[in-house]
Amino acid sequence: MDALQLLQLIHHGVWVALAAIAVVRVARRPTRTSLDIALFFAGIALFVIESRVLAVVDLPGGEALRAAGVILVVALPYLLLRILDDFAPVRPWIMRASEASVVPSAVVLLAFQDAQLPLAALLYVVAAFAAVAIYSAAVAVRVARGSSGVTRSRMRSIAAGAYFLGLGILVAGVGAVLPAATAVAAAVTQLCAVASALSFFVGFAPPGPVRRYWQIPELRGFLARASTLPRTGMDELVREIEEVAGRSLGARAAIGLWDETAGVLRFARSGGMPSVVGPGSPYLVWRSFAEQSPVYVSDAATANPAAADEYRRVGVGPVLLAPITAGERRLGVLAVTARREPIFAEEDLEFVRLMAQQAAVLMESRTLIDEAARVRAQEETARLKEDFVSAAAHDLKTPLTTIVAQAQLIERRAEREGRAGELPGIRRLVSETLRLSRLVEELLDASRLERGAFEMMLDDADLAAVVREVATYDRPGVERIKLEVAGPLRGRFDARRMAQLVDNLIDNALKYSPAQSSVEVRAWSEDGLARVAVRDAGIGIPPAELPDLFNRFRRASNVDHRRYGGIGLGLFICRGIAEQHGGRIWVETELGRGSVFQVEIPLRGAVPRSPGLEAGTVRA
Amino acid sequence: MTSPGVEATRAQRSVLAVDDDPSILGLMADILSGEGYRVVSASDGRQALDLLAQEPVCVVLLDMRMPRLDGWGFARELRQRGQRLPVVVVTAAENARAWAEEIGADAYLAKPFQLADLLEIVERFCGEDRSAEGPAA
Repeated sequence: MDALQLLQLIHHGVWVALAAIAVVRVARRPTRTSLDIALFFAGIALFVIESRVLAVVDLPGGEALRAAGVILVVALPYLLLRILDDFAPVRPWIMRASEASVVPSAVVLLAFQDAQLPLAALLYVVAAFAAVAIYSAAVAVRVARGSSGVTRSRMRSIAAGAYFLGLGILVAGVGAVLPAATAVAAAVTQLCAVASALSFFVGFAPPGPVRRYWQIPELRGFLARASTLPRTGMDELVREIEEVAGRSLGARAAIGLWDETAGVLRFARSGGMPSVVGPGSPYLVWRSFAEQSPVYVSDAATANPAAADEYRRVGVGPVLLAPITAGERRLGVLAVTARREPIFAEEDLEFVRLMAQQAAVLMESRTLIDEAARVRAQEETARLKEDFVSAAAHDLKTPLTTIVAQAQLIERRAEREGRAGELPGIRRLVSETLRLSRLVEELLDASRLERGAFEMMLDDADLAAVVREVATYDRPGVERIKLEVAGPLRGRFDARRMAQLVDNLIDNALKYSPAQSSVEVRAWSEDGLARVAVRDAGIGIPPAELPDLFNRFRRASNVDHRRYGGIGLGLFICRGIAEQHGGRIWVETELGRGSVFQVEIPLRGAVPRSPGLEAGTVRA
Repeated sequence: MTSPGVEATRAQRSVLAVDDDPSILGLMADILSGEGYRVVSASDGRQALDLLAQEPVCVVLLDMRMPRLDGWGFARELRQRGQRLPVVVVTAAENARAWAEEIGADAYLAKPFQLADLLEIVERFCGEDRSAEGPAA
């Protein structure tokens, strides 16, 4: 066996092997394209087998077989155009012409079967073959230019196959015309045939590994960009993922985002998809989302007749769908669609699933980043507000110092000098400036609590003594207070703060109850807890407002704001003081009957709840 | 920090008020002079140190945040001079008590204070009974 024969054996082997693969494929998935591909490869393979078999044994009816082989060969250009038509539009008249040329070509070849072909006939056959091959190559190149990713690589392969086919035929023609060049021409023709077979096969029906080899650079590029993507908005992110997915598959990709409130999927850019898809919609994309399963169909219209018209209208053939889901969170669906069936293979579904997973990670992190930014902005606003309150209250203190002390000085002088007529007015001035001073202090306290900067000075103290002292302050309505203290209640308290708390509760009780009713103030110990209760027979608090009662700027709605001054910080601060002592405050109330505010503080080892407070570190 | 006997008797009714806010200085002078104290005023720490060199006092009412020389600087220089004087920190700042500790002051008074608070604290350092404790000149 010489080199030429070996080359021919390889050439024949390749075609037969590829034909076998194509036939297996069409058996597995009988579609128009796979059938065309199988016919094309099988046609050549049959011719090869038949010619080799006939060369060895002289079969009966060998003539008829030979004739069938010739017809198969002359039908090849037509079969090639058929496959091409599945991938890219082939002009109808060319299809018709190639169909029509099968018959004269066959006649010519059969007529001169064992004799030398006349030059004109030879030229005709070679020209017909070469024209179809070159036309196919040109179409494939044009489609490759307009596409991307896998599709582009496939079209390039097809173009290469067509070029090699054309070249092989031309060289074979030259070899037939010039006997001197026969050996060389035969070798070149064999090489071209092998190259053409492989190129066609890879282009028409790329095996999984080749497909992945083409997809990997796109996927890698996508992953490399992924780290920078979340800095952009969700919209840009979605567009970018769509673009990369589309590019790598050489098709249209669209992401349907799950709109939880509306319960629908929304597609921002059509990409062959409707803009809104919801429950009860006939589209495959809804099925993929609802069932959370990837979907591949080679032809949407056949797979889903309910929406066939719509699929045909927007030109959707094969569809790849993969849900985008981060953990339990359903974010949407990645949909990749193409116009022509053979653009995708089932193996691409895995790739789309991978893309969808990446998309889920990116979109989830985008969401988290957005969320974090919003929380940060909120916190920043809150902090600025607190800083402002703190600074404003602080700036109020200096002028207040002068006003308070100066007013008191004037009062003192008026008292000493016996200017009785001026005294009531001066006393009003003093008491109102003191009230103003207290309000500023309340604002500051509230702000300190918000900022976690509420300073406590815990000392051994007797809460019973504190309650007794506060309850017997000389104040309007003090005679209504019924005091019942079972003391001593020794523990670690900030006596000034506890006095502030009890004072506030007594103040409220006196303020929000009828003038003649009594206010009960009790202090006792129970289970290692110091307890203080302040009961009034007042207006009570509407139940709906109880949960917010101890929050900032909350005042019960049944309070006449003009009659009772206050900015709604008292109970917030009371709660803060109780909690800073490791205790709690609550209220039992009945509308129109009155309320009981209760405080309990652990008697021993009272520890401030939040760390970082300066309590205990300052000892004068 | 307690006032040495000799100085205390000579300065027993003199108070040094240091504050960059003139109305606070006016207020303190008004209140304390009415109670028979002599009030010396300074608008910053530097001026206060200069005044102390000329006139002994029984207590310094010290604002902390001031231009030129602040409360911390004043306390530091006072210590360097070996002068021992009762100092009361008077401030509107949140951490009045911590600052008082920091500079080794004897007491603090948070703004806004009340008339009685100021009188009580000055009385504590400059009162009649205290001067009686000091040795006779």
